[in-house]
Amino acid sequence: MKNRITVLFVLVLVLLLLSPVFAAGTKEAAGPVNLTFVETITSPSRTAQIMELIAKYEARNPNVKINLVSPPYEQSDNKLTLMLNSNQELDIIEVRDHTVKQFVNNKKLVDLTPYLAAWDEGDDLLPLTIAAANTVDDTPYLLPQFFYVKGLFVRTDVLAKYGFTTMPKTTDELYAMSKAITGKDRNQYGFGFRGKGSSFKISDILILSDVPNISADNIYQTEDGRFAFSTPEARKAVAAYVDLYKHAVPSDGVNWGFSEQVNAFISGSTPFLVQDPDTVGMVADALDPELYTVIPMPIGASGKTYLDYGFAGLGIPTTSKHPDLAWDFISFMINAENNADFCKVYGPLPVHTSTYANDPFFSSGVYKSWETEMSDPDNYVFVKYPLDSPKYPGWAQVQEQTMQSLLLGNTTVDQAIKSWEDYWK
Amino acid sequence: MKRRSPYPIVRFILLALYLLGAIFPLYWIFITSLKGPKEIYTMPLQYLPSKASLASYRKLFSFSNFSTYFRNSLVITLISSLLAMAVSIFSGFSLSRYPVKRTKGILQLVLYFTQTIPTFIIMVPIFTMFTKLGWVDRTGALMLVYVATVVAFSTIMSKGFFDRIPTSLEEAARIDGCSMFQSLWRVILPITRPGMAAIFCFAFINIWNELFLAVMLLMSNDKMTVPVALNSFISKAGISWDVMSAGIVIALLPTMIVFGFGQRYIVAGLTEGSVKG
Amino acid sequence: MMEKNHYRWMLVPALLFLLLFIYIPVARGAVMAFQHYNLFDLSTLRFNGLDNFKAVITDKNISFAQILLNTVVWLFGSLIFQFVLGFGLALLLRKPFAGRGLYTAFVFYGWALSGFAIGLTWAWLFNGQAGLVNDLLIRIGILKQPIGFLSNPRLAMMSVIIPNIWYGVPFFGIMLLAALQSVPNELYEAAVLDGAGSVRKFVSVTVPYIKPTIVSTILLRTMWIVNFPDLIYAMTNGGPVNRTNILATQMINKVFKEYDYGQGSAIGVIIMVLLFVYAILYLKIVEDSKEELL
Repeated sequence: MKNRITVLFVLVLVLLLLSPVFAAGTKEAAGPVNLTFVETITSPSRTAQIMELIAKYEARNPNVKINLVSPPYEQSDNKLTLMLNSNQELDIIEVRDHTVKQFVNNKKLVDLTPYLAAWDEGDDLLPLTIAAANTVDDTPYLLPQFFYVKGLFVRTDVLAKYGFTTMPKTTDELYAMSKAITGKDRNQYGFGFRGKGSSFKISDILILSDVPNISADNIYQTEDGRFAFSTPEARKAVAAYVDLYKHAVPSDGVNWGFSEQVNAFISGSTPFLVQDPDTVGMVADALDPELYTVIPMPIGASGKTYLDYGFAGLGIPTTSKHPDLAWDFISFMINAENNADFCKVYGPLPVHTSTYANDPFFSSGVYKSWETEMSDPDNYVFVKYPLDSPKYPGWAQVQEQTMQSLLLGNTTVDQAIKSWEDYWK
Repeated sequence: MKRRSPYPIVRFILLALYLLGAIFPLYWIFITSLKGPKEIYTMPLQYLPSKASLASYRKLFSFSNFSTYFRNSLVITLISSLLAMAVSIFSGFSLSRYPVKRTKGILQLVLYFTQTIPTFIIMVPIFTMFTKLGWVDRTGALMLVYVATVVAFSTIMSKGFFDRIPTSLEEAARIDGCSMFQSLWRVILPITRPGMAAIFCFAFINIWNELFLAVMLLMSNDKMTVPVALNSFISKAGISWDVMSAGIVIALLPTMIVFGFGQRYIVAGLTEGSVKG
Repeated sequence: MMEKNHYRWMLVPALLFLLLFIYIPVARGAVMAFQHYNLFDLSTLRFNGLDNFKAVITDKNISFAQILLNTVVWLFGSLIFQFVLGFGLALLLRKPFAGRGLYTAFVFYGWALSGFAIGLTWAWLFNGQAGLVNDLLIRIGILKQPIGFLSNPRLAMMSVIIPNIWYGVPFFGIMLLAALQSVPNELYEAAVLDGAGSVRKFVSVTVPYIKPTIVSTILLRTMWIVNFPDLIYAMTNGGPVNRTNILATQMINKVFKEYDYGQGSAIGVIIMVLLFVYAILYLKIVEDSKEELL
């Protein structure tokens, strides 16, 4: 009697363990073709837009069903990497500038050359789009969908309050204005600092734009092969940046991430904010339009401004069983019309030449500044980060540490620059 | 340290201070959830919303589909907690009565060792293992992992409870002709009910709040749990504090309810049950 | 007495769960610690002996010594105050009073929140510009200018420990309250007969009786605190300048930001080994309680 009970008990347990295998799964074979689409720059509003586009596509193609997977932003790239590396069957994935190299290294992306060649909108893509697509090995492993280029958000009302009616055109002017506005006892500061979380994306533009002849292939190198920060101009610029922190930023700024940076702008305590166009929506939600504007990034002492073109796009994993169908969906998502509509609501810059030519949205209002940046190569030069390098993933933490150390006075400019030089050797 | 304050006034003041300290972060989140999006980041700080509004909550449930995630979390957490409780009843009882001292000691060491393990070190291996088994995006698989994460501590607690119950009880039942199983079921369990409630509470709270395993092992958007949903309010564009604060308040409700009912048992249960002396 | 076999069978479910979903993955994870396992390029996957450990310990840019120091400060800073305040609360709650049930529900709720939600909330509370803490301190007059709690290297660790204390007090409060209430009244009566006053009763009756609870609760809490990066991660991400970076948060950085599972797992192994050694030493020191625990 006792033995029977224990045996029964163990049996129940074993059944319980096996039950997930019998539990309903999401992949049913019969019926329409199922494509799995993984996005990584997840945000609730953007996901809603993607679902609308998916619905539109499914209406036109009733034999296809697209399953959208939207991991939370903070873990999304990591999760996608794990999924790819364990060979899960995925069909469309969101590829970003800092993940494309890794995916290609692990041979997870399909070469899109034949698809692009046959695409009727292929010629309509911006030269920048083609450059971004060919980031790795000069081969298009993704079709870019969005560009994230920095612009300078300005609280015109705060500037007016302190008597400034003109916008800063150069980095020096920006720094001067920020410091002039700052009054610590009034709890008023000048510059929306970024202290943590990819802070180098912002500091690099301001610092390195003072250095002449930065290589377009690698922002950290000059055209004659020197390490960019080791130049005398860069040294001066780093010192000026530290000085900006000391005189125009609350001491808390060294720990500011995206939220703090943007919130300081919205609350008015810092009238200048360097950010990507997808911040436009957030700011528009929180501030009335006559209180702010966006201007192009200030020009550096080199006479130019070096802008990094952050991008994200869609690619096809090698594990996909339906690459042609996946491409069909991708070319739908990123055709000129859908891309423009998406960007208007979501915020970043679209990827087709015709959009800029035909659609007044992207050349008016706050977007005028970005249009200026995109169409004035004499003053605004697009450069790449060394995304290829295996040292790139670890760079963010190292740079953050040394920069914070520098800002807090625990190290000198020369020591910081030397440690950066050593890192990239 | 005062064992019992001779002055009731002092006691009252101290209790009030503790309560204030415990409540004020919740207060801040709560009023944030009642402010409209334009009011959240104002300077100077507003301690009371100028116009209390449920807009954030409406947005949470309609736009962010929170009720689905809430339901998912409830199902997953309830089942996993009950299963963990059931399993640990047996393992705790066994460990408490185990006749071989050496094995008992080793088993306990094994259980305590699980508490030294950081979740991240098992994340990738479990992900890989489940992918190979085809258990990706299966709620059941996640539940099994959750049971595993709490079963060690549940067993430790359960053993503590059973230690307090003299073996004479089950021996008497055996003599009366019950099988071991029956004696456990009919005689012992009713007494340890408070202890079991305590284990259920611990398991519930830990599982309800678990984030990383849920992110890794679930795929479909409609299977997500509450912590994943809250985490998804953090995007490249920062934190949406309106829905986030509303979400935190709503997410707190089940745990507070379970805890509210359970803490009576936890205190009573630990009193009768676990704590050895 | 029940047959040993029955006891064995009863342990099977729990052990099965542990083996399949904890121990085997841990073993696999520990193996990664000895491999060059970087998702940036998996074709370079190979065994590299102790290289990961060496790399982590001798990292020029992120000081391992600082990380260890942070972990120790984080642990003891949190633990001591959690215990003291928790004990104080338990003592206050010992005697029943009107509305005690409702009161305990509210004063203990903090433990029902997720570490991540707590971290985000307190990060906002401590915000150097728009934070409640600064605002209150200025209003009361203690401060004239707001302080950057989370950006000042000297204050940052304290500023992350405070929410951790807030979070841990309920746990100790509950456990110790239960323990206090389990002391049999006869013992107190006997002590009173012997002429003991309040303090004597506390020292000679209460404390010894609940000592095993204190011992085991503290050990468990130690392990949980060391393995609790969520709060720090949400508040400072280990900064500023590595000053709040503990072993567990550095592990997250290696895994999530750098895709280096080899080094990440190495840190995980270091955590487990250190905690295990600590547990053994700790139990040896509280020798007489060891018997009761095992």
